[in-house]
Amino acid sequence: MANTQAMCTSFKGELLSGYHQFGAATLTSRGSLTAPTKDSFKAALYLASATINAATTAYSATGEVTGTNYTAGGVAVTNANDPSTSGTTAIWTPSASLVYTNVTLSTAFDAVLIYNDTQGDRAVSVHTFGSQTITAGTFTLTMPTNDASNALIRLA
Amino acid sequence: MNQQPTLTQQPQSPEQQIPMIWTSKGNRPIAGLTLQPEWTVNDDYIKFVERWRDESGEVVKESAHVYDRKGVHLDGAVAAIG
Repeated sequence: MANTQAMCTSFKGELLSGYHQFGAATLTSRGSLTAPTKDSFKAALYLASATINAATTAYSATGEVTGTNYTAGGVAVTNANDPSTSGTTAIWTPSASLVYTNVTLSTAFDAVLIYNDTQGDRAVSVHTFGSQTITAGTFTLTMPTNDASNALIRLA
Repeated sequence: MNQQPTLTQQPQSPEQQIPMIWTSKGNRPIAGLTLQPEWTVNDDYIKFVERWRDESGEVVKESAHVYDRKGVHLDGAVAAIG
């Protein structure tokens, strides 16, 4: 088993259904909700022995890391910047690093799952970074440059 | 004429004078630990690991910092009609 970096396939379909709201929007009413607030996203770490990939549809505690000062479900994703476009590509990147502070994660992990905490924990994407353990330390994931070539989520 | 206030310093205990670092065994003097930095650089990410070992060689503190160089992308496609 292994984790594979990918945009989750279910997420692609859910985009067309309007499940995920990364930025503020003013909508033409389809019902009663015309100015919904942004969704909240979270980032959970997964063991190297887990299997999360494009087929992952939602957050699950199965295969998630456990350890001192790590809370199941992971940390909140800071989302101060709405999605934007660069050339012909739509882009979105969290506005701050993902930081797991003073944790001890003794079993090797190698992936993070970004998921929509507001909409039933629906999966967004999986990112891998090589096998790692943490001992009484900090794990930091610094986000890529938010441009058409590197943004965390790119729709070209 | 204004007089500068006199600053008084609390005397430091010997422990406060020694640079310490938080480890799996509590606060330990940095001088007694060995730092092993490790870098991984590839097209997808840059990772810096700082690994501290005590006198016995045991890892008592390990932090990692990853710069995700590139996220994931989706190529949109539309079909021709007709």
